[in-house]
Amino acid sequence: MPLLTVKNLRTRFSTDRGTVRAVDGVSFELEEGEVMGLVGESGSGKSITAMSIMRLIKEPPGRIEADEITFDGVDLLALTPAQLRDYRARHISMIFQDPMRSLNPVLTIGRQLMETLQRHLRMSARDARRRSIELLEVVGIPRAEKRLDEYPHQFSGGMRQRVMIAIALSCNPRLLIADEATTALDVTIQAQIIDLIRRLRSEMGTAVIWISHDLGLVAGLCDKVSVMYAGRIVESGPVREVFYRPAHGYTLGLMNCTPRVDDIGHRLRPIEGMPPNLAEPMPLCPFLPRCEMAVAACRESKPRLETIAEGHVASCHANLSAYWRKEKVA
Amino acid sequence: MWSYLVKRLIQMPLVLLVVTITIFLIIRFTPGDPVQIMLGMQTSPEAEAALRAEFRLDQPWHMQYLLWVGDLLQGDFGRSIRMNTPVLQLLADRLPISLALALSAMIFAVVVSIPLGLIAALKRNTWIDYLATGYTLFGFAVPNFALAMILIYVFSITLSWFPITGIGSGASTAPGLWGVVQPYVLPAVALGTLQTAIFTRLLRSSMIDVLGQDYMRTANAKGLQPLTILLVHALKNAMIPFVTMLAIQFGYLIGIQVTIEHIFAIPGMGSAILSAVVNRDFPVIQGFVLVIAAFFMLANIIADILYGIIDPRIRY
Amino acid sequence: MAFHDASTPVAVEPNYDSGFRMAMRQLLRNKAAAAGLFCLLLIVFLAVFAPWIIPYDPTQIALSSKLHGPSWEHWLGTDHFGRDVLARMAHGARVSLSVGLSTVAFAAAFGVPIGLLSGYVGGRLDNVLMRLMDAFLTFPPLLLGVAIVGLLGADLTTVTLALGIVQIPVLARVVRSATLVVREETYITATRALGAGSWRLVFQHVLRNILSPLVVQITIVFSAAIVAEASLSFLGLGVQPPTPSWGRDLAEARRFMVDAPWMFLAPTGFIIVSVMAINFMGDSLRDSLDPRSWVRRAVTSRETPRASADR
Repeated sequence: MPLLTVKNLRTRFSTDRGTVRAVDGVSFELEEGEVMGLVGESGSGKSITAMSIMRLIKEPPGRIEADEITFDGVDLLALTPAQLRDYRARHISMIFQDPMRSLNPVLTIGRQLMETLQRHLRMSARDARRRSIELLEVVGIPRAEKRLDEYPHQFSGGMRQRVMIAIALSCNPRLLIADEATTALDVTIQAQIIDLIRRLRSEMGTAVIWISHDLGLVAGLCDKVSVMYAGRIVESGPVREVFYRPAHGYTLGLMNCTPRVDDIGHRLRPIEGMPPNLAEPMPLCPFLPRCEMAVAACRESKPRLETIAEGHVASCHANLSAYWRKEKVA
Repeated sequence: MWSYLVKRLIQMPLVLLVVTITIFLIIRFTPGDPVQIMLGMQTSPEAEAALRAEFRLDQPWHMQYLLWVGDLLQGDFGRSIRMNTPVLQLLADRLPISLALALSAMIFAVVVSIPLGLIAALKRNTWIDYLATGYTLFGFAVPNFALAMILIYVFSITLSWFPITGIGSGASTAPGLWGVVQPYVLPAVALGTLQTAIFTRLLRSSMIDVLGQDYMRTANAKGLQPLTILLVHALKNAMIPFVTMLAIQFGYLIGIQVTIEHIFAIPGMGSAILSAVVNRDFPVIQGFVLVIAAFFMLANIIADILYGIIDPRIRY
Repeated sequence: MAFHDASTPVAVEPNYDSGFRMAMRQLLRNKAAAAGLFCLLLIVFLAVFAPWIIPYDPTQIALSSKLHGPSWEHWLGTDHFGRDVLARMAHGARVSLSVGLSTVAFAAAFGVPIGLLSGYVGGRLDNVLMRLMDAFLTFPPLLLGVAIVGLLGADLTTVTLALGIVQIPVLARVVRSATLVVREETYITATRALGAGSWRLVFQHVLRNILSPLVVQITIVFSAAIVAEASLSFLGLGVQPPTPSWGRDLAEARRFMVDAPWMFLAPTGFIIVSVMAINFMGDSLRDSLDPRSWVRRAVTSRETPRASADR
């Protein structure tokens, strides 16, 4: 049984410009200890998907619907708000993009770490403090005992994200959702954080949903990847499979505008145009106006997710995998 | 922090110097002679001259000022021309009453504005928010003395719940603690309603600001109890401007009591200045204005210190 | 590494006010502003045309009809001298409005140039002027009014002087901070490069750009002046009898609260309505400019600790 099952997740927002379907029919499964990348442009619905799983969307104006969201056999949609709170941070944790603003500026780091331990594990203040020091050491913060009494503004960006990770991992959750967790950080700090996540995953067996628009990071860290566009998953599969043989025009477009260090002189090709307005109905492939690979069928019907190879699905009429096969032959 | 504080404290006497010189100039160059007011028509030139010499009114104004400052530095505020009692003694009588009145107005304002501001922020754009907004609009518009008259009409005359006077007179209509508190209720409400409006509006807007911050999402993602999120994570942030404003307004309240003291016959600082102005009792005006301005400045400095204490990001 | 980051037109962070509520709020706000304007115009109309539309002299004593309650003849009743309360209110409005206007004019005449000078020249002059303004701000406004009016004697000039002095620093600060912002903007430098006279430049560009915050602040000064005038008159220091004034009538009504409550309700109502009306207009002006500006103004009628920490 998978650790997390999401079936046909739909999250909408009612705004004055109509209903925005921010997430429109997302499904995936995540096994225990597995690391899944979730990639796509800003506004493609990655963060909303993550927040919908934890039900951190404010309702109203938001509205979360799904055929199924099951975590470890428990139907998350059926939980009362109080039960749900018991799950947050205890079993499913989340790290956010901006470590500068995600920590409360007027509370000490120690306070913010300890409160989770005291809340979920019913630790005494003394135990919680001892455990907090351990946690800070685990995420690589020197002089942890002293730094516990400091405030967020006394930490650098990278250190703050380590604190966020320490908080997220404090109760040994089985699923960690990292939403652009390293985007705001320097490359070197980024590498350290990735290394930390990799280590924690192998030591604690935590499953991870890694949300990023950095394909390079996802390729290096994840077991499988799902590509989102306009609120849907347009392609997903094992990392090697998807990145070596992308089947969707959008995935290919993303890869074409991702620079590679070892490919000097290679011209990056940006994806032209803008993502569609999610408040409008989309009878055809949402990527069609920007797609370079479009075929005649794309203008007639909406493509459905189809299996291309073992575990590799994509919703694309052009079906680029055939294209890769041809190229190999030639 | 300390160097900033020292700087502010050094600035204070300089500002007070400007304040006192201004008051001194206004007093000395306006018509009206305290001696004549006091002695009336039937007076001998000798008696007048003696009185003038006694209060140094025969000297040029700058000498009067310097001598006054010199006395002040030795802790001597001079004597009231009218009552012939030391100004310091008058201050000792009046200041506690004014402070008690300001404090009770603050208590009223805080007790009302915290729940009102919080609920308005949490239930934004609902009828309760509109109600709170309506109340603040009223609070901003109603002058304290007009409100005092409405309160007197309703609660003293019609309902007979509260006395019209009683502060500082020693005579109480009720026994025990209530007897001490009761006469303060109406003046405190009348005086503090403006502050209630200020605080409610401030708390509502800073709370709305805080609720939209990223760290509130973090607090939710941690699965904390709603009450913890509200009281610890949100309120502690929203309180920073609130507490600062609290200190500023306290200093301000001492200076605007005069109308309330007038209505409720409260022997506070304001009514002392009012009668001193009417009688041209110069030493009293000078001394009292100095103390009130000093209080106002102190309150501002305290506000800054509090700001530094509650907000760990501020280091002066 | 990261691919291009097109910002989407659709909200990732959704707007938490639904369309309906936003529309309602807008409507309510506009209605309030319209109601405010209407009330203010009504009071102005009463004040200007009082002698022609109200058939009573506000100072005419008629003891035979004293302390009469509201009736068709006397809409707001009569006072203890038998004078028509509505007539007194209408004529009192003349005092309130003219004190308000002259206070605004006085405070602006000094506050605006000081603020412009301080903000535009900057440096040492700015420092000196602002410290001076700080000193003025430490005067408890009402007590200063009591002192000046009480000592100089009460008439429109002294009342205006007393109320206006405390408002000078308020206006000066608003103008200064707006000037500082405008000064940083490039078009000023551009105009200067083109050789326009320095002072003409200040007045044309800066004044045009600070007009909106100034107008908002002026509504605040205006309503503060009306309240302050009423307070002084209430203490017996404002305009002298027999000139009708809301504050003085309120003070006299104290003795007749039991027998003639209309006597204190009328001036109370007139003060509240006129101040509210002006505030409404100021609020809607402010909302259309910057909905958050009042917080800054409320927290800092002085310099913010943060700002001084930066120094």
